[in-house]
Amino acid sequence: MVLKTLDVLGSLHGYGIARRIEQISGDLLAVNQGTLYPVLLRLEQEGAIASEWGASENNRRARFYRLTKEGRKQLQAETQDWEQTAAIIGRFFEAKAEDLS
Amino acid sequence: MNSLRRFFARLSSYGAQREQDERLREEIEGHIALQTSENVRAGLSPVEARRRAILKFGGVEGIKQEYRAKRGLPLVENFVQDVRFALRSLRRTPGLTAFVVITLALGIGMTSATFSMVDALIFRPYPVPRPGSVVSLASTTHDSPFDDFSYREYLEIRDKTTSYDGVIANASMEAVGFSAEAGTTPRIKGGMMVSGNYFHVLGVEPRLGRGFREDEDQVSGRNPVVVLGPDFWRHEFASDPSVLGKTVLLNGTKFTVIGVAPDSFPGMLTFGHPDFYMPLAMAHVFSTNIQKNFFEDRDDRELHLKARLKPGATLDQARNELAVIAKDFEREYPDTNRSRGAAVYTHFQARTIEDQNWKFGVIFVILALAVLLVACTNVAGLLLSRARARAREIAVRLALGAGRLRLIRLLLTESLILASLGGVAGIAIGYGVIEWFHSKDSIVFATELPVAVPFQMDTRVLLACVALSVFSALLCGLAPALQSTRVDLVNALKSADVDVPGRKRLWGRNMLVVAQVSMSLMLLTASFLMARGFQRSLLEDTGFSKDHLLMTSFDPRLIQYNAAKTQQFYKLLVERMREIPGVQSVALTQNIPVGVDDFDGVAFVPDGFQMPPDRANFNSTMDTVDEGYFETMGVPILRGRAFQASDTADTPRVAIVNEHLAKHYWPAGNAVGKYIRLDSGAGTPVEIVGVAQTIKSQSMQSPMDFVYMPLAQHPVARMVLMLHSSGDPLELVQPVKEVVRSLDPNLPMLLTRSYEEFYLNQVVRGPRIAIDLVGSMGLVGLLLAVAGLYGLVAYNVSCRTREIGIRIALGAASSDVLRLVIGKGLVLVGFGTAIGLAMGFALEQLMNSMLFDSGGVDILAYVTVVPAMFLVTMLAAYLPARRAAQIAPTQALRYE
Repeated sequence: MVLKTLDVLGSLHGYGIARRIEQISGDLLAVNQGTLYPVLLRLEQEGAIASEWGASENNRRARFYRLTKEGRKQLQAETQDWEQTAAIIGRFFEAKAEDLS
Repeated sequence: MNSLRRFFARLSSYGAQREQDERLREEIEGHIALQTSENVRAGLSPVEARRRAILKFGGVEGIKQEYRAKRGLPLVENFVQDVRFALRSLRRTPGLTAFVVITLALGIGMTSATFSMVDALIFRPYPVPRPGSVVSLASTTHDSPFDDFSYREYLEIRDKTTSYDGVIANASMEAVGFSAEAGTTPRIKGGMMVSGNYFHVLGVEPRLGRGFREDEDQVSGRNPVVVLGPDFWRHEFASDPSVLGKTVLLNGTKFTVIGVAPDSFPGMLTFGHPDFYMPLAMAHVFSTNIQKNFFEDRDDRELHLKARLKPGATLDQARNELAVIAKDFEREYPDTNRSRGAAVYTHFQARTIEDQNWKFGVIFVILALAVLLVACTNVAGLLLSRARARAREIAVRLALGAGRLRLIRLLLTESLILASLGGVAGIAIGYGVIEWFHSKDSIVFATELPVAVPFQMDTRVLLACVALSVFSALLCGLAPALQSTRVDLVNALKSADVDVPGRKRLWGRNMLVVAQVSMSLMLLTASFLMARGFQRSLLEDTGFSKDHLLMTSFDPRLIQYNAAKTQQFYKLLVERMREIPGVQSVALTQNIPVGVDDFDGVAFVPDGFQMPPDRANFNSTMDTVDEGYFETMGVPILRGRAFQASDTADTPRVAIVNEHLAKHYWPAGNAVGKYIRLDSGAGTPVEIVGVAQTIKSQSMQSPMDFVYMPLAQHPVARMVLMLHSSGDPLELVQPVKEVVRSLDPNLPMLLTRSYEEFYLNQVVRGPRIAIDLVGSMGLVGLLLAVAGLYGLVAYNVSCRTREIGIRIALGAASSDVLRLVIGKGLVLVGFGTAIGLAMGFALEQLMNSMLFDSGGVDILAYVTVVPAMFLVTMLAAYLPARRAAQIAPTQALRYE
């Protein structure tokens, strides 16, 4: 989700990412926003995202995260994975009893 | 892949902790500020907006923790933290720390020093590539599992075997007269004859020049070439590379230097590094048995064989193959090879069979380990009492949610630091002990050969030290760590006196007391026994005189005397010596009692003796002496006569045997007048003309068969001259030198010294050192044990101060308390003594079977050691008990 968000919106700071996820999920995924930061750290260590300081909307110093090439590749792979999984699961739901006979 | 990258990212961020913390803090603040402003926009009051924002963000500390855990390397960080904390808390108690470190250092130091002995004697691999595939080949007889081969046998074994990548042979290192230029008096150096393929098969590449070629070892006397040892090259030629091609004189013969062995190859011997190597084909120049033909006689056994196993070949194959060859030898050459087998030994087997000294090393290691164990129990006891003092601290940590494992890790880190400090100090001690072995104060080898003490502090010993440190850290740290983290929190927080008298806990501490008593008792018993064993061997009557004797030896082959000239020289030498004033008697002997060189052996068949079917002959040690020997050495002739000047090469052969041999083969009758035949039943008959009293001619060994042959009938080149003086024997040195110079100015006098000094050095010094070593181990063990016991018992009593106070308050007399405390101590000491006695007894059996062979139990040792031990431990119990009994009840109850 983080990767996709960054993919769509480009460079973004932590709060922005959290807000975005909330918005898209329609506030269904309103977890503690703080848990986002360890995730960001992990992704950065893996090299999927990079970060630098910048100025936020209210002119505070904020750390902006953006997707790297590596991250784009990872996103692609994971998107594919997810689509595959979703497709499989979807087929199970579509399958009706008569299809099997 | 990803995890690897994360690891490096973590590693790099490890240094920049503070910066990263700051970054997170700022991010969080920014996040909350943004959320707050949004909330305000949504219409909330600023305070409420901020509250909601924080609420939404979640537990800041938790996030921070998680963030940190993800960021760095928590294991390493924790360890560094632990180390810092441990160092801090150890610094708070410098006295205790110092005591623990010294205690462990003594244990580790002693163990490492003794381990270096055992390592040098049996474990250290040969200094060659792939040392594991080098095996030793030995000829075996009824009497010896490690006999040598003759040159002919070597050639056949080399050519017939298929399991090896080459079979090499070498003679023993022996004295060779060396002069760098013609015309200078030769000096004695240690040379070793080796086969032409020696360096090649061992895989030793010379650092200069080349090793021998196989064709240099094919024709007798054709290739006088020599390869120098690395040390010799350095000292004698100042590492001069132009030494190649230079001509040197060995025993008066010109040899060309063709190579220098590398520093990594000091030689294959355990003791000593050969100065140079010569090809076997030059044997006629060196001290081979002059009565035999080295190249032809199959019973001239002077060669040690080694071989490198082929990569695929197994030891069993090699053994079978060699056994078949030995059988062939037996069939083809019954005269020389009857009932003679052959064996293949691994490096370890060879070392343990060839030389028995390693057994002392093993016993020393056992004793040193016992010292280390005592030291560890000591430290464990101390840490335990320390842990009690820290009980509240630990309880607080536990109550605050520290994991038990985490705490145990912290405590173990502490003991690891203690043990490492102890290990470092122990290495220093071990190094000191080993250096002392090397110094001239310890052992002076009475030989002119390059002999060296092989013990050294090398990587292997250092590794052992590290292992020992870790081992002792676990040993002394684990129990206290486990115990002190298992506390009842409620009680522990309520009072400092955490020590709920649970049975389990007391049991652990009591175990320590018992272990300590028993270990130190065993240590003491063993060192006492060992000291007494050595003492006994020193006090034993040797059967010959040692005082007023001057010894000096000659080897006329060093200046190329032939057999006739040699005989003439010795005859003149003895005549002239007799004329020197102050000389009471003169003797020549091939070997002196307790000398450096081994006695020769002689194979014989007693005439008229029914030989067992599987034996061709018996073996005995022998010595070649002249007619003055028995008088000069003060060895009484019990029956028959001594040798006389009338026993010459032209008269029938005669011999004198010792009483041991006489009783052995002629238990009923008089051996005088009987005959023995040399080598086999058909050999030369030799009449026994006398029976000499049995002397202890080799130290630390039980009496053995011995045959004396007269020099006139059994010529030997290298002889020792013994002079019995009326005054100080050293006053004779100058006149003797003048006489020798008048006979031949080029002939060096070797090993000139008073025999008494030589004897002390050879026989007394080694055991003395052993006694010192063992004694100091026993003493250290005892001191440690006393200190530890006192500490433990005193600590036990102090734990019960409150209980004792209550007892006294309730009306117990102080004598009751005393009885209670001492009684408990007694029980523990009793247990410890019983176990210690059992262990000491087992060790005694082991030592008897390995070393002294004194058979029975040495009662005196137990009678001395046990009460002493008991007394000490009683004292350790009494003092704190008395203090406890004197406590005023009010004080005890108010205690803390």
